[in-house]
Amino acid sequence: MSISTALFSPAPTPLSVKPNFTTKSTPFLSLNRPFLLLSTPKSLPDNGAGVSASVAAVEDSNPNREDPILEKAVDGSSGPNGAATSAEVEVLSKFEDPRWIAGTWDLKQFGKNGSTDWDAVIDAEVRRRKWLQDNPETTSNDDPVVFDTSIIPWWAWMKRFHLPEAELLNGRAAMIGFFMAYLVDSLTGVGLVDQMGNFFCKTLLFVAVSGVLLIRKNEDLDNIKKLIEETTFYDKQWQATWQDETTSNNN
Amino acid sequence: MTSIAFKPFTGLRRSSVLPCPNPTTTTTLSKPVVKFHVSAARTSPKLSNRNLRVAVIGGGPAGGAAAETLAKGGIETFLIERKLDNCKPCGGAIPLCMVGEFDLPLDIIDRRVTKMKMISPSNIAVDIGQTLKPHEYIGMVRREVLDAYLRDRAKDNGANVINGLFLKMDMPKSWDDPFVLHYTEYDGKQGAVGSKSTLEVDAVIGADGANSRVAKAINAGDYDYAIAFQERIKIPDDKMVYYENLAEMYVGDDVSPDFYGWVFPKCDHVAVGTGTVTHKSDIKKFQLATRNRAKDKILGGKIIRVEAHPIPEHPRPRRLSGRVALVGDAAGYVTKCSGEGIYFAAKSGRMCAEAIVEGSQNGKKMVDEGDLRKYLEKWDKTYWPTYKVLDVLQKVFYRSNPAREAFVEMCADEYVQKMTFDSYLYKTVAPGNPLEDLKLAVNTIGSLVRANALRKEMERLNV
Repeated sequence: MSISTALFSPAPTPLSVKPNFTTKSTPFLSLNRPFLLLSTPKSLPDNGAGVSASVAAVEDSNPNREDPILEKAVDGSSGPNGAATSAEVEVLSKFEDPRWIAGTWDLKQFGKNGSTDWDAVIDAEVRRRKWLQDNPETTSNDDPVVFDTSIIPWWAWMKRFHLPEAELLNGRAAMIGFFMAYLVDSLTGVGLVDQMGNFFCKTLLFVAVSGVLLIRKNEDLDNIKKLIEETTFYDKQWQATWQDETTSNNN
Repeated sequence: MTSIAFKPFTGLRRSSVLPCPNPTTTTTLSKPVVKFHVSAARTSPKLSNRNLRVAVIGGGPAGGAAAETLAKGGIETFLIERKLDNCKPCGGAIPLCMVGEFDLPLDIIDRRVTKMKMISPSNIAVDIGQTLKPHEYIGMVRREVLDAYLRDRAKDNGANVINGLFLKMDMPKSWDDPFVLHYTEYDGKQGAVGSKSTLEVDAVIGADGANSRVAKAINAGDYDYAIAFQERIKIPDDKMVYYENLAEMYVGDDVSPDFYGWVFPKCDHVAVGTGTVTHKSDIKKFQLATRNRAKDKILGGKIIRVEAHPIPEHPRPRRLSGRVALVGDAAGYVTKCSGEGIYFAAKSGRMCAEAIVEGSQNGKKMVDEGDLRKYLEKWDKTYWPTYKVLDVLQKVFYRSNPAREAFVEMCADEYVQKMTFDSYLYKTVAPGNPLEDLKLAVNTIGSLVRANALRKEMERLNV
């Protein structure tokens, strides 16, 4: 993201009209000026000031943004502007790792005692994604990424991610179950075996299990509420126009 | 649609406390007694000595298709368009079915896209399109060419095309009073101010796009919208070969938090763009990131045009009021997930016009709100599944980077590609093979779980 901030810094107030702009532009940029048009939807009928201001805005920020694309193609004419920005373009380095070959992880290099160390593969992929999240890279046709997470076998995922969580949840369920069974027994005198036959107790059991499964962190309560609202929101937006019909029909 | 129980909801409709300008519309919520019950056209009076007059505001695909159908049906049609050579900022992709349904000549289509590349946040690239048959493609058109063609066809069928800017509309004071439209007519001179004119019509179709004035006039309410920002870049010929019939879609938090970035080939250049609903002020940052991701492939390109436009996210709360109906972007008929609007605009324009033609019995009778409601019914019934499926896809797969990784992984599957293209090209939600669907569901969950697990590890790395 350092590139984007560096490129944005010379572009100040986006909506001010700059009459003396031409003096700053480089030779090939002044050739491009006639091509730059901006159409924005908000400036539909009442164009006037809106369009001229936004055209200035586009031209304002464009010269710096155009340079990374253009300066490599236009050899000599970029002059000082080109040289100034070429340094910033080179700063971005691609993701590199000795085990990342031809757009995928070379599993032979992850060997451990004769078989592949899947945990290490997962770690490496995590590090690659983290790197790319912070430094997005360009895709290239000569060097495509073809890694597919499904080559890592299901039991590797289970062992690493599912089992610890499952242990946690089962532990919680067991503790809740023991405590609730004791509580109900002490309050009503119904033993564990008889509790299992009772419908109300079975319902309680169901609630306890689903609670443990669905609500794992404090945020989950809010998330579930938001999810429920989300699933029906779009439907409501579509049915809005029919609200009229029912009201008028009822009258 | 009307048989579904309606849960009460608040806030989506613009306040009905605004004084309703037309006391005789049947949709006034405050009036306890409705003067005219919404009913079929059979009880409408016959029009003596004239045909039904309908105005279509806006001459894009929706307006053009509506005007053509109306004119063909014998109705006196007026199509008001403010800029006849409008070069609209638009992806320009039309599905195969549109070519057949609207009898589009093949020379309108600049390019046939038969391959698509989906690129995940970690640059995993997946090619889709292997399941397409040789005659199937996504058509890329220039909007000014398509819009002009549809308008001219409407004119040839008898519609009156007026170059004018719609200003406002006077609602009828009584049931059979006409609507009085105020507009500025441009008589063809460049830069002329134009002259104010009025027009009396019996019904209005609002096809004037995302910032519809007709919608404002009938208090249709607002909608959430996405901003789509696009730069047209002329790239060197050798790089253009790669995009000969290939379009790219980039997903990732850097490119857009809730939409995707794209590189679409146009007639002789590419359009690189992105969009967002929630972070509109960061759109330029997202655009930079999109260009960065495609950098190698558009190196040496020159930006020839920068454009932006709003894309509705969902239909307006009110799409119909009295004898005024909204179609196309004005109604908000853009799908989620893919942001497709051209086909739906044209189809809704046509459907609405068909409803008017039928309700007025080819222009002999006055139409009623009930006739226009039939268009809404038909539309909702036909396309609701498509919209809902795309909404679910967007909610599931555009939420976060892991979800997008899973999305791209899923797209590598042939069954997914076939289902996606079938539903996109022919606009039907095909049921598909249940066994394959089950396998797909399992694979989807697997992908999502894996991607989320990797993300949790990523967060742990940071901490």
